[in-house]
Amino acid sequence: MNDMTQVSVRDAAYNFAYLDEQTKRMIRRALLKAVAIPGYQVPFGGREMPLPYGWGTGGMQLTAAILGADDVLKVIDQGADDTTNAVSIRRFFARTAGVVTTESTPDATVIQTRHRIPETPLHADQIMVYQVPIPDPLRFIEPSETETRTMHALNDYGVMHVKLYEDIATFGHIATAYAYPVMVDERYVMDPSPIPKFDNPKLDMSPALMLFGAGREKRLYAVPPYTRVTSLDFEDHPFEVQKWEACCAICGSRDAFLDELILDDAGTQSFVCSDTYYCAQRVSQQEQGQ
Amino acid sequence: MSAQLLQPAFADPVLDAQRGFRAALKALAGPGLIQSLHDVPSLEGLAPATYALCLALLDVDTPLWLAPSFDTPLIRANLAFHCGCPLTSVRSEAQFALLAADDLLDLSGFDTGNDRYPDQSCTLLVQLPSLNGGQVLTWHGPGIERQHSISLPLAEGFWAERERRNEFPRGLDLFFSAGHELIGLPRSTRIAEERA
Repeated sequence: MNDMTQVSVRDAAYNFAYLDEQTKRMIRRALLKAVAIPGYQVPFGGREMPLPYGWGTGGMQLTAAILGADDVLKVIDQGADDTTNAVSIRRFFARTAGVVTTESTPDATVIQTRHRIPETPLHADQIMVYQVPIPDPLRFIEPSETETRTMHALNDYGVMHVKLYEDIATFGHIATAYAYPVMVDERYVMDPSPIPKFDNPKLDMSPALMLFGAGREKRLYAVPPYTRVTSLDFEDHPFEVQKWEACCAICGSRDAFLDELILDDAGTQSFVCSDTYYCAQRVSQQEQGQ
Repeated sequence: MSAQLLQPAFADPVLDAQRGFRAALKALAGPGLIQSLHDVPSLEGLAPATYALCLALLDVDTPLWLAPSFDTPLIRANLAFHCGCPLTSVRSEAQFALLAADDLLDLSGFDTGNDRYPDQSCTLLVQLPSLNGGQVLTWHGPGIERQHSISLPLAEGFWAERERRNEFPRGLDLFFSAGHELIGLPRSTRIAEERA
């Protein structure tokens, strides 16, 4: 254990990890089906959580259903361990489940994330839990659930390519930069949650299990480890990730996903890593190297 | 229902159920890899791993179909008491089914879901004497990095029967259990014969 890890005591007034056992069993059964049908959205009886929709209620219900006493939990919000959403959710599970929490990516067994995949490579004993606002990638094209469900059933995804093509026709390139649709195991088109498309390649053949939970929409889905996940593209407009000319102002990384900071009224820019653990690790390594 | 029929189940219902579920999740997310469950109770006729899956996953919402070999007063009474799951004799109503190796040659009637809701399919819990000793087959697909060579002791006809019931995304998901160990076989796993 290191200084990034915190041990806490469970508040016995709550059932372990807040949810009641029958709710957990219902979510667990849905999760098993989600893993068996990679990329398919399983409806589940989403419960009210003690925080509003949009703050990660779907992810929290999944975390509550899978969490055990031996798990080490990490929560990130846009890559950062120290933002409001991440801190609150971490404290919630520290209090209701008494689990050890950490900021370290390799030490964590369960990582709940809002819109980033850590830069540090994941390993086989980890489970990623994604917070998802709108689980259906077809929803912005076809508002009817009945219709999109039929499209998924019939493997009818032509309209998704039309949307990407319209980007090319309008902007000259595919302008979708986050929540970039992917094809899972050559069958289901899936919304990888609003992660930047920079993170999409990390989904492909990842050794970690990926679980996605949408609380308001009451859907969950999964990508098992070592599953082919390809980002939709065209032969003449292949999928590309973002690149920056700048490097991180703190650690100097040129490989990480960078957040843009505006420093003054004149619009002076600076860039820093969005993954705070990765950035802090690099800085401490550089200090040791000196 | 006589009191002697009832036997203790999980010592810690909350955390033992979580451990049982996580073993099942890992088994299904890594088809063919053996998961072990320790410190779980057994019941006459049910191996610890089988019983742990029942206790972790079944409740009032999950009609269960029992193969005749598992349909004993002891198993009925304990599943009714600890899980509260309704038993059904109609295969198409079952969300879970408890089977032995002999029952695998005819999987007709079990719900394989539909194209719009493939998740509404039945999950089969299959208890075997052991998890190896049969024909070596190559498993690949989601959850498997390259391929696994698995030799479950099953009749050859089972694989053809599974193929018949599997029309992805519709299909049946299976857990094979023996003693304290279990292996998952989701519908997404593709099976091929080992090349000599």
